[in-house]
Amino acid sequence: MDKDRRGFLPIETNWFDRLFISIVLWVALSLFWLRFIEPLGLSIWISVAISVALAIIIVKRG
Amino acid sequence: MQSKFLGWALLAPTLLILALFGVVPFIYVLFVSFHQWNPFGANPDMLFNWAGNYRKLVFDAQFLASLGVTAAFVFFAVLSELVLGYALAQALMRDFPGKAFFRTIHTLPLIMAPIIVGSVWKLMTTPSIGIIPNILSNWLGYDLNIGQSAWQAFATTVIMDIWHWTPLVTLTLIAALVSLPADPFEQAQIDGANRRQIFWHITLPMIRPAILATVFIRMMDAMRTVDEVLMLTGGGPGSATRYVGVHIFKEVFPRTNYGYGSAVSVIVLYLTIVVCWLMYVGLIAPRNKGKG
Repeated sequence: MDKDRRGFLPIETNWFDRLFISIVLWVALSLFWLRFIEPLGLSIWISVAISVALAIIIVKRG
Repeated sequence: MQSKFLGWALLAPTLLILALFGVVPFIYVLFVSFHQWNPFGANPDMLFNWAGNYRKLVFDAQFLASLGVTAAFVFFAVLSELVLGYALAQALMRDFPGKAFFRTIHTLPLIMAPIIVGSVWKLMTTPSIGIIPNILSNWLGYDLNIGQSAWQAFATTVIMDIWHWTPLVTLTLIAALVSLPADPFEQAQIDGANRRQIFWHITLPMIRPAILATVFIRMMDAMRTVDEVLMLTGGGPGSATRYVGVHIFKEVFPRTNYGYGSAVSVIVLYLTIVVCWLMYVGLIAPRNKGKG
């Protein structure tokens, strides 16, 4: 099991915490995108791609 | 190896129940939230519409307004319950005539079903027949009409929630106060600390976990309040008391809009988890750091 460690996030986290933070950010970004960005013509899939990239960075380096 | 197996075997019933009654319904609600499903509408089939319900939700003015009134409701209700609950817990720690009787009486609201609480408060606040508008009108010359005044309706729902749930806070805090060791208090008194200093520097830090646990429970409960408010005001007047729970109820039951109602439920669950997690990270985790 992964022990708590400190990466670029301001708190000590284990892998599950970082996954949780990634999902929270994914949902928040998706809702923000649907409300403000998608009406401008940018697809929701861009937000999904950004969220996945962000999740990988957070889980590996967070 | 054997103890590891025994541990999992003992946990198995709980995990099974949790999966059956917690995880499976959540996954189903999540599944439904990505569908347009109105079983009593023109097309009763479940149609996959990807993020359509969530797209509708972020533009739904009634939902966004309901989030605002729910936040206000949770803030005022939980804060008042905490302050009142602590005051009552401190009062009940002392001996006074009729203490046992008062303790029993003050716990009675807890055993009442929320829908009964809503009905009773509806009877008590109905203009012309209710006891509260009568007393306020005859004694103070104040007109209470929760069917017309938005802020009176809001305040009444907050007061009803306080009346219903303060005993829970009191009982939790009594349990915490009773379990405190006497030594730190005696030492503080010997050192000349006054009552305020003892409260801020000894009592409050020592009952902090109980306070936070109570706040979490009450917050989660208050964020999904439905039945009491539905009975008392029906979400009105206008949308003054249309809290998110009431909004979900109105979408799912009268309008049978299961897909959209599920999407709103998922977002409310998301917001509840995020708020509680932020409070945990901000208030509890830093204190536990270094304790192993």
